[in-house]
Amino acid sequence: MIGDIMGVNESERPLLEVQDIYAGYRPDFDILKGVSLHVKPREIVCVIGPNGAGKSTVFKALYGFVNVRQGRVLFDNRDITGARPQDALKAGITIVPQLRSLFPQMTVYENLEMGMYLERDKARIKRRIDYILDLFPRLAERAKQKAGTMSGGEQRMLEIGRALMWEPKLVLMDEPSAGLAPLITKAIFRGIHRLNREIGLTVLMIEQNARQGLQISDRGYVLDLGQNSYEGSGRELLEDPNVRRAFLGG
Amino acid sequence: MDQLSQAAINGVMLGGFYAVMVLGFSIIWGVMGVINLAHGEFVMVGAYITWLLSKQLGWEPFATVIVVFPVMFAVGYALQHGLINRVIDRPYLISLLVTYGLSIIIANATKIIFTATPRTVDTAFSGFWRVGDVTVPITKTIVLIAALIIMSGLHLFLQYTRLGKSIRAAAQNREAARIVGIEIKYVYAITFAICIALTAVAGTLVAPTQPIYPFMGPPLTLKAFAITAMAGLGSIPGALMGGIVLGLVEVLIATFVPGVGTNLGIVSSFVILVVVLVTRPQGLFGGLKPAGAH
Repeated sequence: MIGDIMGVNESERPLLEVQDIYAGYRPDFDILKGVSLHVKPREIVCVIGPNGAGKSTVFKALYGFVNVRQGRVLFDNRDITGARPQDALKAGITIVPQLRSLFPQMTVYENLEMGMYLERDKARIKRRIDYILDLFPRLAERAKQKAGTMSGGEQRMLEIGRALMWEPKLVLMDEPSAGLAPLITKAIFRGIHRLNREIGLTVLMIEQNARQGLQISDRGYVLDLGQNSYEGSGRELLEDPNVRRAFLGG
Repeated sequence: MDQLSQAAINGVMLGGFYAVMVLGFSIIWGVMGVINLAHGEFVMVGAYITWLLSKQLGWEPFATVIVVFPVMFAVGYALQHGLINRVIDRPYLISLLVTYGLSIIIANATKIIFTATPRTVDTAFSGFWRVGDVTVPITKTIVLIAALIIMSGLHLFLQYTRLGKSIRAAAQNREAARIVGIEIKYVYAITFAICIALTAVAGTLVAPTQPIYPFMGPPLTLKAFAITAMAGLGSIPGALMGGIVLGLVEVLIATFVPGVGTNLGIVSSFVILVVVLVTRPQGLFGGLKPAGAH
């Protein structure tokens, strides 16, 4: 491998590389003013920061919901700057948005099916659904139930399950704990950690619940006012006095 | 008693037409959030195409469906792509005004081309069946059967095909539909095309049963509102139930209220609309999505 010759370990090469991006909703006003981050395969990376720091905008920029005015996004060695949602999907990125993103009148099974909307091979979809239902036995019990009638935690689980349908290389999770009770939040974080260990799921997440988010993360970034402010391993950030004072409540 | 059963039969048959007539209106509203005030005009256009083909070329009116559906599908696709798409993300009021303008243009253009003279369409199936003392016109039976076939077909399409699922998905959660890779603009254009085609087919069905004229649209749009209020947005069983309720109410009033009967028909739609909106704004029979969700 060329990487080995150059002295670079293949697995250390980033899967996602966001290079100094500027982006925003209006042409004359940038929310992101030079944000850089990267995610390596099989990592969980957490982005934290106060409200309005631009955390969600990073995801929207990756998923083509806002325009990237400057900088580059590289994924799997390809330039995907300004990709539309379909392009991001095809490249292998799926997203679990912060707001409810299920089809409430469809069954659990149909929701999973929609996670592979772009796949035409029905046998493959079926195999994938069986795999996901195996991974989440709770969803299997409720396969025929309408998604909108499940509890908040179960709905979040289904959203994550649906994001995995596509066999993504990277899953973006926008505040997986949002709107959930503390016990459920714990279960969801445990679940994400388990998926990471068991199937090597690579996750980039944004979390308001910074402490718990960092606890399961390999690395983290602190954003403030649309710029990088700190970065380090999950443990380093949890123990850094500045980060603790400013973002973890002392 | 015979008068009552006769009225009930007539009401149910009228309801079958109303059910098909309302589907396009209610699905466009449910999926795209657009209230199509030109709805009745598309029924009228469908009826005129049927009249034209049967008068000029001697076609059996019901057979004109094979022209009406594809032609109006294309018209619907083009309209959504060129016009509705431009206003879809703006407030309700804008699309209301655009479709209201469209309704005036279509009705008046029809009047200029075909004059305001009411037209009738003759079908070969003009006889009656007799069941006891009740007479059942064959034409209206065909309309009812066609309505049931169309509704079952639409149900199967929405429930089981990939395109149908993408339409339901876009209706239930637009953002979620985008993130699983559904091209919203394409789904909207197809939805609009299917709905306009269905609406025009309702015109084909009604043409042999009553005179058609350029300004027959607005009362139909109003009835579509009343039925949708009962049915819930995009609900096919709801459309059938709502259509039959309105059909029954109209026919029963026309039969049993002397003098003013027929004119009260349109008033009854108003009354139903107001009563349902006040007492059960989420509709009586459920729908494409929970009330208030968008």
